[in-house]
Amino acid sequence: MTFLREIKEREYLPNRTQIKLYSAGTFAVIKLFLKSPGDIKKLQQKEPLEKRYIRPPREYEIPKFNNDTKYCKSDEKYLRPTLWCNCRAPEVIALANQLGAYRVSDREFAEAAFHFVKEKMPLEILPLNPVEETFRRGTGTCFHLITAFIALCRAAGIKARYKMFAMNMIQAWVDSTVAVDPVVKKWYDSMGYFMLEGEGEAYVDGKWVVAHVGPKAERQAANGIPITKFGEDSIGVWFFPIPGTIMKMESIPYGLGALVKLAKLIAPGSMERVNVSIQNQIESGRKIIQEAGGLEAYDEMARSKVGPKKPKIEMEGKGEIVFGE
Amino acid sequence: MLSYDQYLKNFDKCVSSYIPPYNSWTPADEALYKPKDLYRIPIKDAEELQLKSLKFAFNYHYEKNKFYHDFCKEHKVEPNDIKNISDLSKIPLIPDGFYKDYPHGKDFATWLGNIYTGELPKIVIPHTMPNYDQVIDAFSKAGVIVTYSSGTGGRHTFIPRDIRTFHSSEYALAKCVVSMIYPFWEYDSGGYILMPNPRKNFIYAGKALEIYMDAVKNIQVAIDRHINTETIRITMGIGKGIRSKFIRFASKRVSKKMIKDIVSWLEHNKNSTEKISMIGAPFILYFVMKKIQDLGLTFDIGERGAVVTGGGWKIHEQIRMTSSSFRKIVKEVLGIPEKFCLDAYGMVEGNGWMVQCPEGHYLHVPYSYFKPLVLDDEFNQVAYGETGRFAFLDAIAMSYPGFITTGDKVKLLEHCPVCDRPGPVLDPEVERVKGAETRGCAEEMRSMMTRDIGR
Repeated sequence: MTFLREIKEREYLPNRTQIKLYSAGTFAVIKLFLKSPGDIKKLQQKEPLEKRYIRPPREYEIPKFNNDTKYCKSDEKYLRPTLWCNCRAPEVIALANQLGAYRVSDREFAEAAFHFVKEKMPLEILPLNPVEETFRRGTGTCFHLITAFIALCRAAGIKARYKMFAMNMIQAWVDSTVAVDPVVKKWYDSMGYFMLEGEGEAYVDGKWVVAHVGPKAERQAANGIPITKFGEDSIGVWFFPIPGTIMKMESIPYGLGALVKLAKLIAPGSMERVNVSIQNQIESGRKIIQEAGGLEAYDEMARSKVGPKKPKIEMEGKGEIVFGE
Repeated sequence: MLSYDQYLKNFDKCVSSYIPPYNSWTPADEALYKPKDLYRIPIKDAEELQLKSLKFAFNYHYEKNKFYHDFCKEHKVEPNDIKNISDLSKIPLIPDGFYKDYPHGKDFATWLGNIYTGELPKIVIPHTMPNYDQVIDAFSKAGVIVTYSSGTGGRHTFIPRDIRTFHSSEYALAKCVVSMIYPFWEYDSGGYILMPNPRKNFIYAGKALEIYMDAVKNIQVAIDRHINTETIRITMGIGKGIRSKFIRFASKRVSKKMIKDIVSWLEHNKNSTEKISMIGAPFILYFVMKKIQDLGLTFDIGERGAVVTGGGWKIHEQIRMTSSSFRKIVKEVLGIPEKFCLDAYGMVEGNGWMVQCPEGHYLHVPYSYFKPLVLDDEFNQVAYGETGRFAFLDAIAMSYPGFITTGDKVKLLEHCPVCDRPGPVLDPEVERVKGAETRGCAEEMRSMMTRDIGR
């Protein structure tokens, strides 16, 4: 019974929107295969050795875990371990303490965790795994990285949660991430909804602050967009969610891991090509940043091209609008 | 020939219900309703009207719209800073994506309420979890017309207009067109709306044509059914599943019939003495003309006919037509002279309608109430003659702040290189800024039809 209650309380079960997205995605994949079974071969085909993906070395050391190290033991919502996100794993606790947990303010810690995950953990498309494994490897999909950020915050006693959505991407991203493989492009075109994206959110100074940890600065530079800071939303700059698909959750739901695992099983070649492309982006972004005169100079230039900030809307309830009468 | 003054008097009489009583005119109304020809106002007079009307509009939104007030505070600009015409460029511009960034369900209604300037009427939404169309219907019943763009990338731009703003927008469109095609317009004539029925729909490019139904006696409508946001989404190819397939199949049948009906209407009118006009999406007329050519027919409508297009020039997925090549086909197939085949450029966020002049087909700006701006890559204003991102200050938008940057790339000239109208013009070929989504109300319609007919 406890287990069932945990499933419900910690939001492990996919909600209606997710079920719709998963079903649409699965249906489209099956359809794609039935239509062109030859594609399976293409999906599995690997590139010649010189073009294969080689995982970059981890960019940080994991400190030694000490049994006396302080960490959050609360069972409160958004502070407790959830699926794939064991915030009490020794690696998480050790890194959280290295980043200043319980010694700096919540905002300072969340910012440090944000920069650590965003800039030291590059993107790699691969199946979901427990967060401690992600830290040991040093790479992951955006969901691995968001989970890493959330786990660090929770270990430091800061509430943290997931924000997920299905999105429309900016063209630069489509060109480099999706269009790089024709099959992935077909998936993209035919489904639209299957690519869930996400961000983390940490509860700091009385409000939820967004953390878009997915892209390293170099990848953002490669796509000509500003380098996102802690508290800056990717929505509207980097991602354009499909209306009605934004979900805020305590946990990654069941099913997401299986979907990525399935994709890995049937399309290892495609997945690898995307990873190679990401590495190329990081490389070209590095050059762009260098040519611009450094990170700050690049960011300033990119921001001037994005144009003025959008006005902020604080949604106030309107008494003149009446529902359900 | 009827004098222009009498011509416009007749027109104003015909559409008098769109003009607010004189004693309630604001400076914005004055800039729109008072000039007889919005494209022939001497620059000095136009600038005076422009400054007065934009100062009024800026002050109004600054005082009565919370989000825009805060936005101005953030930019450290307030109404007192706007003293002369050069100060207008200080008015903070809202990025085009802002009106696309909306939530769904109940929150969508609240979002509309929050971007609305002034007092909202009482709006009753009879659903607890309303969809976009249910919210739009409820606002419409309360007198707030929420129109939207095609939403090519899966997101519409939604704009709420109070009745007064909406009527001003419609009147502006009609007056701009009627001025440009002088002396063509007369009430006792026939017309075809190449768009969904404006009285049944809220897609802006179609909805703004409602005035055409009052300005012309015998009106036919190409798509005489209700099309909701979901249908648009599906016909744009975004929706999947059996239901989507069924809708696409049904729209194919309807589209074929629509083309047939328009061809029949043209055949019926070919020997009549009555003037006829067609207004709407160019690709619908393109398919009509293609059908006429396939049938081995041509018409010689001559100066009895006029065509006004708007909404984008994509015909098929990969084929983009220029307005000049389109005019040549119209001349060849329908016999309508190029001077009566004009394109209008506008967008759901704005109420300024740039209509081509018959002489040179440059897009003229109604500059008494609408200030065009061109911005470079870093969003700084550039001089006349340079190409850049289009932005505008729109004085007649009273229910939302109409100070907006767009995703369109234009070239703004100080004067028309061909005709003698004094105000600024845009080069006729408008493109999208690289990286921005493609869109256009005709795009949505194109999608609905090309998927069905063209393939």
